Amino acid sequence: MPGISITMAMAIFLPMTLYMDFLPAIIFLTSIYTGAGFGGAVPAVLMNIPGTSSAVATTFDGYPMSRKGLHNEALGLGLGASVIGCLGSYILLLFLIAPVANVVLKMGPLEMFAVAVWGMLLLGSLTGSSMSRGMLAGVFGVLLGTVGTNTAGYTRGTMGIDWLFDGIPVIPAMMGLLAVSQLLNLINTNYLIEDEASRGISFKRILKGVKLTFTYPTIMLRGFTIGVTIGAIPGVGSSISNLISYSETKRNAPDGDTFGQGNPKGVIAAESANSSSEGGAMATMLALGIPGGGATAILLAAFAMHNIVGGPSFIANNKDIVYAIIFSNFAQAVLLLGIGLGFCYLASSVVRVPLRFLIPAVMVVSAFGSYAIQGTLSGPITLFVFSVLGWAMVRYQYPVAAAVVGLLLGTLLEENLIRTWQITRGDVSYVLERPGAMLIIALMVVSMGLTSFSQWRRKRREAAAALSAEEAGS
Amino acid sequence: MKQPKTSLRVDWGHLALLLLICVVVVAYLLDTRATSLRINNLLLVQPTSIIALILAALVLPQCFRRKDAAEGATEEGDADPAKRETWRDLGKIAALSAAFGAFTVSLETLGFDAATFIFLALGTFICGERRLWVIALFSGIFTAAIVYGYQLLVPYPFPLLVM
Repeated sequence: MPGISITMAMAIFLPMTLYMDFLPAIIFLTSIYTGAGFGGAVPAVLMNIPGTSSAVATTFDGYPMSRKGLHNEALGLGLGASVIGCLGSYILLLFLIAPVANVVLKMGPLEMFAVAVWGMLLLGSLTGSSMSRGMLAGVFGVLLGTVGTNTAGYTRGTMGIDWLFDGIPVIPAMMGLLAVSQLLNLINTNYLIEDEASRGISFKRILKGVKLTFTYPTIMLRGFTIGVTIGAIPGVGSSISNLISYSETKRNAPDGDTFGQGNPKGVIAAESANSSSEGGAMATMLALGIPGGGATAILLAAFAMHNIVGGPSFIANNKDIVYAIIFSNFAQAVLLLGIGLGFCYLASSVVRVPLRFLIPAVMVVSAFGSYAIQGTLSGPITLFVFSVLGWAMVRYQYPVAAAVVGLLLGTLLEENLIRTWQITRGDVSYVLERPGAMLIIALMVVSMGLTSFSQWRRKRREAAAALSAEEAGS
Repeated sequence: MKQPKTSLRVDWGHLALLLLICVVVVAYLLDTRATSLRINNLLLVQPTSIIALILAALVLPQCFRRKDAAEGATEEGDADPAKRETWRDLGKIAALSAAFGAFTVSLETLGFDAATFIFLALGTFICGERRLWVIALFSGIFTAAIVYGYQLLVPYPFPLLVM
């Protein structure tokens, strides 16, 4: 449900765990974590609503797949990628929990800034038909993301509105830009899927989607490597990992041009990364006692409720509990497959609802969801403003996804840029003292270089083929 | 040889959107500079605003098209959604947006139940449903379900008028 985030779902059930033993309590909460992680993909695929920031990239290809009548397959792909991603990340965690913790301790603001810049490079692949409009949308998003009080204590752009001191509420803004704006454009359409024959709900086709996931092992592997690594960084997590995984897959795919139009690889890339972020975040939480986000903070609260102190000594003293948590997640991933299949089947029926009912209903759900985040009108008002802005942007072919990425990364970019500035006072040579940052920058450069090279080679091959066809014709 | 005269067609909607973006960027930059001129305040916002204005200048010519080129594009079945909408479509979108805006601001004053019921009834009517009993039944059932569901899940109180 939009607005009911993973954190909120866990927080709702946290008091219930007080009456459980420690291990069942943690397993119960991590089950919610795993289930809710996939749950965000369902409205993202069916209605273009990213219920959480980690499902943004899922909308890029998941929703176009639904509009083409491939909603069953898209949900199956999302489920398959989530299950494998979750399993894979916990297998990695089983062996790498200690090294991951060491890496996390070496992450400073410069490294975080480099990761955010990597996320911004996604803008290059989201620009759509006009590069300048795409870049403008992204940069505008970054600026909007910095509204409010920054990390140095300066307050800007609030126009005297109290709730803007904390910045523009991101989830309602995302729902407005991506979902409600699209609904306004569908006002003259009868159903989400125009072709009646494609509107069917098929268990077989959902399973086909799940099976299809296995045919892209490289994308899966890339997705969960990015997911675990980025997910382990406190404060960054799954909201960026899905974007980076999507962008890297798009760059490396031979059919990269078809991303954003319903390419199954896009759904796999996004879902494998956001589901495996859970493993990364758990590594940081278990090894260091640092909550990477709201969900792991709730888990730490559950630790405290049972008089257990998280932190570096936790693993050393409680290896049995740590490995029990990891193994229980394997079972959760398998259960997710079963429960998720049933849930996808039920959720798919939304494509059969006439849009004259669905449009106002989804708008209402979005408004309630955005109210639920803070309990004030800030959410619904933001939702409305960004719906109208998003509609205008779609109408004049500005990629709203680029604005969403900018909005998500604005605060992170500014926060870490300021901290880096405060440490270095503008001394660029500081980069040389940070091997982690150099590694991330090197990875970025290599990734972009390889992509440009493969694109150049593909263009040359196409030109040569066209020339030889011309010669054969004459 | 005399060149044939070509006039420019202005895409007023696009121009208005671009102007809005520029106004927001400039206003934000001025507000940021008015807050403080220290680096910690301007480090990201100032260069990003300047980049945004440069990009807007690059987009500006796209708001003006030669009339013959614009006509050619329309004949070829331009993918631009702005070209496919009629004034009636735009009117429906404007009406639904206005109803949604009124709904979001009236949630607390009118009550979540009443505001939701009225918006759902108006929304389904604008979207094409004409059977009044269907509108009333759908709006009533959906309002009850969503208010009850969110009240169960969300810790914040929802101001209500009837329920």
